[in-house]
Amino acid sequence: MSTKKNSTKSELTLFVTILQKDIKSEIRQANDIISIILFGIISIFIFSSSYNTINLGVRMPIEIFVIQIWLIIFFTLIFIMIKLFVQEKERGTLDGLTSSPVSNNILLISKVVFCFILLSFIELILVLFSFFISVPSVQILNFNEFLYYIIIGIVLPTLDISICGTLVSALSMYSKNKSFVLPLLLFPIILPITSPIISLNIRLLEGELLSMVVIEILFLVAHAILMFSILVLVSEELLSE
Amino acid sequence: MSNFNAVLLECDNISKQYGFFFALNKISFHLDESSILGVIGANGAGKTTLIRILSGLTSPTSGKMVIKGKNYKTDDKFLKKIIGTIANKSFLYEELTIYENLKFYSKLYSVYDKHTFKEKIEHYAEQFNLSDWIFEPISNLSTGMKQKVEIIRILIHNPSILLLDEPFSGLDFNTIKLLIKILTELKLKENLTIIIATHNIEVVQEISDAILILKNGKISKFAPKNEIDKNKIEFYF
Repeated sequence: MSTKKNSTKSELTLFVTILQKDIKSEIRQANDIISIILFGIISIFIFSSSYNTINLGVRMPIEIFVIQIWLIIFFTLIFIMIKLFVQEKERGTLDGLTSSPVSNNILLISKVVFCFILLSFIELILVLFSFFISVPSVQILNFNEFLYYIIIGIVLPTLDISICGTLVSALSMYSKNKSFVLPLLLFPIILPITSPIISLNIRLLEGELLSMVVIEILFLVAHAILMFSILVLVSEELLSE
Repeated sequence: MSNFNAVLLECDNISKQYGFFFALNKISFHLDESSILGVIGANGAGKTTLIRILSGLTSPTSGKMVIKGKNYKTDDKFLKKIIGTIANKSFLYEELTIYENLKFYSKLYSVYDKHTFKEKIEHYAEQFNLSDWIFEPISNLSTGMKQKVEIIRILIHNPSILLLDEPFSGLDFNTIKLLIKILTELKLKENLTIIIATHNIEVVQEISDAILILKNGKISKFAPKNEIDKNKIEFYF
């Protein structure tokens, strides 16, 4: 019992160590994150100005607002995926991780969490910006509705696409044409969840009750569990040559 | 190779195949504790593949490999703990400092002790003339300095075997001399077993106890250093 507890504690320490290293490295290369955020902000400007030029004085419909946000998030995910495994593989540092006594599952889970943290940080800035720039016709949500929107509309899909992104990044790192293979592999994996994510966001921003979006929530949870299971099951093959 | 030390590593018919190409073809050899093996050969002879297989980074297509009586299939974590690898690409994170890189790797190998770590690093830094650079990012260091940090990185978890792939490439004469001195001391004082894959025949002849020459993925010659005529060594390439 005590050995098991110690082993769990040491695995948790390894997980935190890898995560801390990734975050510290990312902070030191702030230019990459700034350019991703700039890409997002420019995209929001382009969407908003195109809409406002045609519809002067009309607030942006929720549908367009949600599509705009998630389209940018999916593109942002591709940038982040390159950072997860592809960059480490090209630099040679991935060999440093895989030649150390760290289990592949710990390595993969730390990358999922890193992707989630990075994506959440970028989303936070982009969502705030888009609320001010795009001025969507969202009704005023009470505290609970706002909390549901954040947890179910943003956090849950972000976690799901972080798992998908990590899986695809690991799958494509040995490929010669990574820039081509990354989006090509990502597309079929995230295609089933794009519609539930958009629908979930629209309905939550319209103030609908949770009971009305149970199917979308269950679908996203099932997809996240399925992708995570695949990630864990193929971890040995993913990280060994 | 000597008659006095216990066998540490045994490779039996190790092959690595990529499609129809054999990077290694039925390699068999054994190595004793506390010895230095120099692996030489032309480009594409299989030196890097051999180092990657021994370090657990690549799995062999066929064959058996035993290190300290254990193999990667059953004792992966144990073997990775007792092996220190320097590959042809650096394992160091360029944006992190020497201190942060070494702290990260000592945590990965579960040897980090916050009370003694700083002292340990200062000791190594002094030994390798890096005391003024501990808090500098790796990107600010020269190739020779980076190589010294790589050596500290692999020593920090007290391994029994060092696997070095082209450790002398890009280094000047003085740094090569310093590395040779360090590696020889490590073998004698710490009883380390060292495998060096390199193009540098002179260095191999200077520090190795045994030499393994690879040609097109096969062993062309494997013998104690004194049994190989240094003037005819290129004949085996």
